[in-house]
Amino acid sequence: MKHISIAYLLILFLVGAITFRLSAAPGNDECLNCHEALDGKVQTPAIAFKNDVHHAAGITCAGCHGGNSSVSDMEEGMDKKKGYTGIPSTKERYVLCVKCHAEKKAMQSFGYRGSTEQFEKLKSSVHFKNSYNDQGPIADCITCHGAHGILGAKNPQSRVHPTKIVQLCGNCHSDPSYMQKYNPGLPVDQVMKYRTSIHGVKNAKGDTRTAQCVSCHGNHEIYSVKDPRSAVYNLNIAKTCSHCHSDTVLMAQYNIPANQYKKYQKSVHGIALLEKGDAAAPSCNGCHGNHAAILPGAESVSKVCGTCHAFNMELFEQGPHKTAFNIKKIPECESCHGNHGIEPVTDEFLGTSSRSFCISCHQAGDNGYKTAAEMKQLLDTLTASKKNADQYLDIAERLGMDVTDEKYALKNMKQLLIKVRTSVHVASLGKFKEEIAPGFEIVKDAETHGRKSIENYYFRRKGLMVSTVIVSILVGLLYLKLKRIEKEDRA
Amino acid sequence: MQKEQPKKQEPVTGKPKSSLMQWLDERYNLSALREFAKKKSVPKFRETIWYYFGGIALLLFVVQVITGILLLMYYKGTEDIAYESVRFIDAKVNFGWLIRSVHSWSANLMILSIVIHMFSVYFLKAFRKPRELTWYTGIALLLISMAFGFSGYLLPWNELAYFATKVGTDIVGQVPFVGKFMLTLMRGGEDVTGATLSRFFGFHVALFPGIFVIFLTLHLLFIQRQGISEPDDWAQKEEKEKKTIPFFPNFVLRELLIWLIVINILAILAVYFPWELGNKADSFAPAPQGIKPEWYFLFMFQVLKYIPGKIWMINGEIIGILFFGLAGLLWIIVPFWDVKLKPGYRNRVITYTGLGILAFIIVFTIIAFIAG
Repeated sequence: MKHISIAYLLILFLVGAITFRLSAAPGNDECLNCHEALDGKVQTPAIAFKNDVHHAAGITCAGCHGGNSSVSDMEEGMDKKKGYTGIPSTKERYVLCVKCHAEKKAMQSFGYRGSTEQFEKLKSSVHFKNSYNDQGPIADCITCHGAHGILGAKNPQSRVHPTKIVQLCGNCHSDPSYMQKYNPGLPVDQVMKYRTSIHGVKNAKGDTRTAQCVSCHGNHEIYSVKDPRSAVYNLNIAKTCSHCHSDTVLMAQYNIPANQYKKYQKSVHGIALLEKGDAAAPSCNGCHGNHAAILPGAESVSKVCGTCHAFNMELFEQGPHKTAFNIKKIPECESCHGNHGIEPVTDEFLGTSSRSFCISCHQAGDNGYKTAAEMKQLLDTLTASKKNADQYLDIAERLGMDVTDEKYALKNMKQLLIKVRTSVHVASLGKFKEEIAPGFEIVKDAETHGRKSIENYYFRRKGLMVSTVIVSILVGLLYLKLKRIEKEDRA
Repeated sequence: MQKEQPKKQEPVTGKPKSSLMQWLDERYNLSALREFAKKKSVPKFRETIWYYFGGIALLLFVVQVITGILLLMYYKGTEDIAYESVRFIDAKVNFGWLIRSVHSWSANLMILSIVIHMFSVYFLKAFRKPRELTWYTGIALLLISMAFGFSGYLLPWNELAYFATKVGTDIVGQVPFVGKFMLTLMRGGEDVTGATLSRFFGFHVALFPGIFVIFLTLHLLFIQRQGISEPDDWAQKEEKEKKTIPFFPNFVLRELLIWLIVINILAILAVYFPWELGNKADSFAPAPQGIKPEWYFLFMFQVLKYIPGKIWMINGEIIGILFFGLAGLLWIIVPFWDVKLKPGYRNRVITYTGLGILAFIIVFTIIAFIAG
């Protein structure tokens, strides 16, 4: 019985294989011959199919539609009993593509050695979710690649060629009424913005090396921007941009440095995003935009930084540097902090040391130099005093004294110090002193309380000693009195 | 004990009175009071030292009342600010830390004194006829003191106290028949909440002090009326063989001397080992490690840990509670089951039972301390 079953399966396999190869045999497509000779809508697919990569590979109409392409008799060729399926439903038409494209051996039999994972990727993508009218996936293979005139992706006439793909994606993504059915919150101006970007401009000129939709979003594995698997998820976007922008050969062709990602990784923003996983930290698109990616100009740098660092920008605009930078046409934030490799700010950047930003423009003797030196001195004094107060409170706490309120007040100093350091952007000594003054008060109070608590601790022990001595004297006197009474009693 | 000691008595009018004493004497007849006090005496023998512990407990109760009233001026017994008010007492109120620390330490020393006093009464067989009621009122005072301690422990509303109260009241909730009712009565609901704190505060500062004073008055009245108990073997002694010391001034001065030493110990403990406050209670936080009740409940807490979850289909905890309940009841009614032997014969059953119980309590308390 077992042998009969195996033999039966073998026969089935051989019949299937022979049928498949017959339908794939080139130059024997009677369906195409007839449909080509017809008019109207039954002719169009046949004409398109003649240029199709599948036709070139020897796949006949029956390869997808079933039936027998090798016979000229229509009745026989389109006999449903012999497997003719006709026009596939939109719900399941992708199955016809998957039948070969997900099978490595089948693809190899046509000489194809590339990936066969397209369907696996598509299955998990946003496009493969069921459509609003339950007519199959939102987008399947045919939605993008077409049905009868499918061309290789490198063919400039292909719908998925880099110069065509923006239009292809835009067919749906630029259609508000269509997009509203799936994601009303999603903008529909991506193509319009893209065309204003440096990527878009070059792409429009036929440059296939510049980024277009699939360069960033992927092709089959497209996920929502909120999905951590997405190449454009905030934590992944820097890496995605770096695919091209860290390619020294490619970037050399545009005279662009290729070290931005390297610098960004070590920057305060890069550390926050890539190491600490802070999704709120800016990635490339945070400053350059995404679809309308552009280099911020010297005048707009502070506006770009100011979208997050609003208070710093406001303070900077109040100070004398704003006008001076504008006159000299030098970028505002970037001049001191840099761009891609922005370092975490330390107090060393203020003042007149070799690491100070101020000495890039100011020289010994000028007002700016003096102001920077005084600001640094005040800041150093405050941080040193805070450290001192912390130590007093720590000692007091170790001695078991309650310094909770003062510790809490010193914790608030962190906020105050941020404010003080931020006020540096006004470059006004008066404003700086105004901001730093409460800090000195808090530190002084904390230190005084710390000292008093420590003194109090020792005072308690001294007080205890005094009371113990007094009580002990009383005990002694009482003992003597008792002895005297008992002696009198005995007498 | 009321005994005449003509040899040792001095005439009341032997010394010239101060003008104040004379003034008071004229109005309140203090001489009669002094005369009465002089007639009282206390047996003087090897175990006299134990007689002082009742007085020590009384002193510590007075300390509790005074420090408790002072704390009450700043303490707020509501969930939101109880912890903060205690922290305020500790940090901001002048000598607040000392008052709170003295209150906590004297509470513990008071229970220790009562426990020592109880065991000394037990071993000296002072609970026997005619002093059964003195024993019962004493037991009542111990139980109320423990209730004082249990309720007071929660008042700072800190983490340890919160979870210890939760565990403690859970155990009460296991008592058959009345457990659920007791649990709800104590907690003011299903869980330990602000309602529990309010209740415990009320019990601690109003209900328990009232009941305590009633039993204390009765206890002192009984002692006053019946005199201080004599050792067992004195029944066979001749009057002249019985050594005594006058209650006033000798015994009172000795007691005063011990009180001063206790006050010194209390001050040292309060200054060198101030009572910690810890973190504020948070019902959503996981229970911290090392939750344990006050030391006087520790032996029971530890024994309950060793009892299996189920014993013959019965909840192990219930069996443990019943065991302690029964043992406690037998201890309380010792005047009933005590085997009275002829004068001069020692009742070793009572002594060995007491020693066994004492060893049991000490061993399990030490184990609980070591186990943390």
